[in-house]
Amino acid sequence: MEQVGLAAATTDVTLWSLFMEAGFVVKLVMLGLIGASVWTWAIVVDKTLKYGKVRRQLDAFEQVFWSGQSLEELYRTLSDRQTSGMGAIFVSAMREWKKSFERGARSPIGLQMRIDRAMDVTLSRESEALEARLGSLATIGSAGPFVGLFGTVVGIMTSFQAIAGSKSTNLAVVAPGIAEALLATAIGLLAAIPAVIAYNKFSADAGKITSRMEGFADEFSAILSRQIDEKLQQPRQAAQ
Amino acid sequence: MKTSLVTSAVLHALVLTWALVSLGSPADFEVADVEAMPVDMVPIEELTKLQQGDKEAPKAEIPSVTPTKRPDTVENAENVGENKVDIKTPPKPDAKPSNNESAAAPEKTEKALPTPDPVKEDSKEITEEKPASEPATEVASLPEPKQEVKPDPKPEEQPAEEKPAENPDAEALPDKVPTPVAKPKVEQPAQTAKTPDRKNEENKKEKKKASSQNESDFNADEVAALLNKTDPTNGGAKSGKTEKAFGASKTTGNTLSQNEMDALRGQIQKNWSSFAGIEGLDGMILKVSFELDPQGNIVGQPEVETTGGSEAARRTMIGSVRRAILKSLPFQGLPADKYDSWREMVVNFDPSSMSIQ
Repeated sequence: MEQVGLAAATTDVTLWSLFMEAGFVVKLVMLGLIGASVWTWAIVVDKTLKYGKVRRQLDAFEQVFWSGQSLEELYRTLSDRQTSGMGAIFVSAMREWKKSFERGARSPIGLQMRIDRAMDVTLSRESEALEARLGSLATIGSAGPFVGLFGTVVGIMTSFQAIAGSKSTNLAVVAPGIAEALLATAIGLLAAIPAVIAYNKFSADAGKITSRMEGFADEFSAILSRQIDEKLQQPRQAAQ
Repeated sequence: MKTSLVTSAVLHALVLTWALVSLGSPADFEVADVEAMPVDMVPIEELTKLQQGDKEAPKAEIPSVTPTKRPDTVENAENVGENKVDIKTPPKPDAKPSNNESAAAPEKTEKALPTPDPVKEDSKEITEEKPASEPATEVASLPEPKQEVKPDPKPEEQPAEEKPAENPDAEALPDKVPTPVAKPKVEQPAQTAKTPDRKNEENKKEKKKASSQNESDFNADEVAALLNKTDPTNGGAKSGKTEKAFGASKTTGNTLSQNEMDALRGQIQKNWSSFAGIEGLDGMILKVSFELDPQGNIVGQPEVETTGGSEAARRTMIGSVRRAILKSLPFQGLPADKYDSWREMVVNFDPSSMSIQ
């Protein structure tokens, strides 16, 4: 049996000394949790910036789209650029439209379906980009406290072994070990709480943006379907 | 993503450095340097206790009764005095200085002298027995001492009161016998010897009556008093070991401690078998009172009073409780010096919870 002894009752109880006094496992847990916290906040910063940008783009696009500008013209300006959000949906639908009419559309129903599919694919790709990394936020939020608790349990265990080894139950001897063990739970909570809050907020935001894009896709699909009907009627009238 | 990651890392670094710097070691608890206050546990018993001692004597550390002249000590004596036997009556100061044994005592104590007694007793026994069984030749010889005795008592009684100490032995002889009833006895056996008749039988009966009268006059206590040379005016047998000091006439409030009561309870509980499954035990309390002698044995029978519970259960429990007490006799571990407090005992049994109070 290995006897674990407390070197001396440390009077220094700063955070740094608590961290340095901790055992290997507890240190590892603490470092991991700090890493998780850094990652959480990185995601938070990233998502905040990205969602803001996406919202601005949506606003701008909708303004242009409903301004009465010709769709052909809009398509020409957008297809040259890297687009995202509604722009990407619009471009994918227009591309499909163009391809079909340039080669001479045979079936209007098939065309409508193809355009819808193209828009669905783009939509799901866009929402996937929006929700990327939200999963890791959820994981950190739910697992962080447990990881911290694990560190605490291990820390308290070793500190009790040390108490048994030193054969002293003086609180001054016992307290630092327990304090350093509790630090692990504190860090775990520190990482988990923002993660949970951020996850809830960002998933709600992503849902809102996605539904807004879906709304646009449906509207655009309706517009295109009207266009198709009109285009199909013109040749018939011409033939009559 | 990279930028945000860097941002986050920098943010954490900043927060951690701030925490390490400003959250340093928390302030130590201020522990006021108070001197420890000693606390003594004082049993209330101490305050209510009266120690035996002398009421007139000056105060001293330890109350003590008057030391006696008698050299030997009597074990567990409770009452002060010069006696060899522990008697409860307090010592009375004698008018005259006395030599203890035959001191200024009433007649009866004079009778107590040893030499005359056996003779008288013997003669009495003989007179009682003989007429019943067989005739008189022997009887005739016996009455002699009585006849001698008869004249004595009247003259002697008076002097006995006045000068008790002078010659106790001589005086003692007469007192015992002078019962008037004894007289006919002596004559009757002579008659019966001559003519044994039915009349004689009747006579015998009469004699028996007479003798029984004799017996009733014969008081065992008196004899005991005669036999024992103790002087009631001498009080008990307790002697102070030190100079007499202030105290009560008797030690009181010297009750059994919790431990001793627990020990007693344990002894009874051990012998009290449980009665699982009996109905009607709810709220039943058995109050058992009994008297103990100094050896911890019971005097007489325990008296049981019951309250609550059903009739049948009561009967069962009374038997059970009696058995428990009789089985655990003699009680061990009762302190002899507190005999006063445990001589009469009242123990409450609660069968529903099998507990003893």
